[in-house]
Amino acid sequence: MSTRAPWTLVAAREIQVKLTDKNFLVGTALTLVLLLGAMFLPALIGGGAPSYDVAVTDEAATGVVEQAEESLQAADEESAITAVDVADRVAAETAVLDGDVDAALVGEPGAWELLHDGGAPTSLDGALSEAVSASAMAANAEAAGTTVADLTAGSDLAQVDLAADDGAMTGPLAFVLGFAFAMLFYFAALMFGMQIANSVVEEKQSRIIEILAAKIPTRQLLMGKVLGNTVLAFGQLALIAAVSLVGLTVVDLDVALPGLTQAILWYLPFFLVGFLALACVWAAAGALASRTEDLQQTTMPLTMVLVVLFIIGLYLEGTWQQVFSFVPVASTFVMPVRIIEGDAAIWEPVLALALALVFCAVTITLGSRLYERALLHTSGSLSWRRAMSLSKD
Amino acid sequence: MLELHGLSRSYGEHRAVDEVSFTVPDGRMVGFVGGNGAGKTTTMRMIMGVLAPTAGEVRWDGEPVTRADRVRFGYMPEERGLYPKQPVLAQLTYLGRLHGMTQSSARERSEELLTRFGLGERLTSKVETLSLGNQQRAQIIASVLGDPKMLVLDEPFSGLDPSAVDQMSALLREHTANGTPVLFSSHQLDLVDRLCDSIVVLHAGRVVAQGTSEDLRASAPLRYRLVTTGDTGWVRGAAGVQVIDLDGPSALVQPEDEASAERLLTDAVARGGVREFSRIRPTLSEIYREVAA
Repeated sequence: MSTRAPWTLVAAREIQVKLTDKNFLVGTALTLVLLLGAMFLPALIGGGAPSYDVAVTDEAATGVVEQAEESLQAADEESAITAVDVADRVAAETAVLDGDVDAALVGEPGAWELLHDGGAPTSLDGALSEAVSASAMAANAEAAGTTVADLTAGSDLAQVDLAADDGAMTGPLAFVLGFAFAMLFYFAALMFGMQIANSVVEEKQSRIIEILAAKIPTRQLLMGKVLGNTVLAFGQLALIAAVSLVGLTVVDLDVALPGLTQAILWYLPFFLVGFLALACVWAAAGALASRTEDLQQTTMPLTMVLVVLFIIGLYLEGTWQQVFSFVPVASTFVMPVRIIEGDAAIWEPVLALALALVFCAVTITLGSRLYERALLHTSGSLSWRRAMSLSKD
Repeated sequence: MLELHGLSRSYGEHRAVDEVSFTVPDGRMVGFVGGNGAGKTTTMRMIMGVLAPTAGEVRWDGEPVTRADRVRFGYMPEERGLYPKQPVLAQLTYLGRLHGMTQSSARERSEELLTRFGLGERLTSKVETLSLGNQQRAQIIASVLGDPKMLVLDEPFSGLDPSAVDQMSALLREHTANGTPVLFSSHQLDLVDRLCDSIVVLHAGRVVAQGTSEDLRASAPLRYRLVTTGDTGWVRGAAGVQVIDLDGPSALVQPEDEASAERLLTDAVARGGVREFSRIRPTLSEIYREVAA
């Protein structure tokens, strides 16, 4: 005789069924492919570093082009601007119109002209303009008996990134990461939540619930279901996180990794607690339905809450953001963003997690009570309110 | 031994099961008979603890039944269910394990029983792809996994063809032979008559008759059929005899006692042309109709 607790068997079955479900496997694989695509595609389409050909007619123009290449390489050392010698302006025009070169630089110092066929690439235009203006400025300064350095002294605006010190991220990267975190939780909560509700109603609809309820306490059944799906959700999250981190390293975004690791380490417990807080409520939603068709109706409040929290997580700022970062479940959306932005003191996520844990205990108690009451109610779907008032059979 | 004492269940004002008491002795097969809505399923659910009784109790071997006892009961609910999308062997193995069996013994036993009942080729088929009769077989197998101490089967034979009924009743016989009490409900009275050691008849939530089929027959009113060559209208005037049905040469009568019956026969012989005078042994269905009327 085996001594394994029934819930472990239930959890193992949930996991095994899901892992042999083609839809789930294909869905997960597709997510990973999309994720990798999103990371690698910009690099592939962008074709890496820019490389331009510019037609020139004399040494002076070649000098400007070389200077422009230097300033371009300061930003991206693999980029290049190549000067292509042509005989005269007519030959340069032909080369541009034929598409042999990206543009042509003709004229003389003080009167340069950039010939192009409907607009030169922005970065090429920028680099050449900068080179022209720098050499003009140098010439003008010399004529006025001074130097460029003297002329521009004190004109720099020094940049001090306060966030950089505490390992936080700013700007678009922070937003993208916050968005990714919110998105991942939103989808996991929705997908695996629905899965829990579905597997509950499947047992109700196929009536196997009577056999199960006669064999094991329904609480064990609920526990196994919730934990099995939590393991699946967390496993999928880990897979996505691992693929993203490896992907980011490959596409050279690894500069952000230290801050990223810290953000992810905080995100994981919030994800887990947020997921668990909703899991038993999903199970109750499943138990309220008696057929799969009723699920949409009984799970509606949950889906609405998730959508609202998702939006709140992305767009709240200031005091409201701080307030919601302590509200259970909402904190899973909001607190990681605050951590990424570096404006949360260490006690704040700890307190938010503790609050979420308390809430989690409440929903587990309430959810499992509703689940047990509604489970053997097989005729028609129940409203949340009616289920609350059902006597325990 | 399973005992029910005054088991009752009310839904609001409605008493679905009303003071039901009966016993399922060890090694006996008890048929649970009653029309739709008589309360059979509700009673079985209460035995299994799926539903709480409003009053009364279920006792196992003289003690109030516990959760630990019930885990060792095999149960087949009226509303059939296995996971439609899981292969049948994997599913029975899972149910066997919930019953406390080890992975390997649950698997072996499920495979053995599936093979025995002609599902050996379908071990990895999803339940939803099996015919209803085969799903039913799998369901019965599920209830006997894990060496149950007691079997509670709600309509186990509905939807089975005669040979499957024979196979399944043989399986149940193996369990009673080992001393396991079996309670099963059925609408098929001839089947209950054939298989069961005793019968409990439920009507409108109450037990209206119980005992072996011999007991039930013995309690049925004494009836005789008289067939003569002439008209039997004269029996209406016979003393101590109630006429149930009269049809020319044939009469169905209910004498007050054996003495009245003998007098009737003497009269008939005196009138001549007696072709038949026979004691009517009521079928179980007739008894059932009588008590459930």
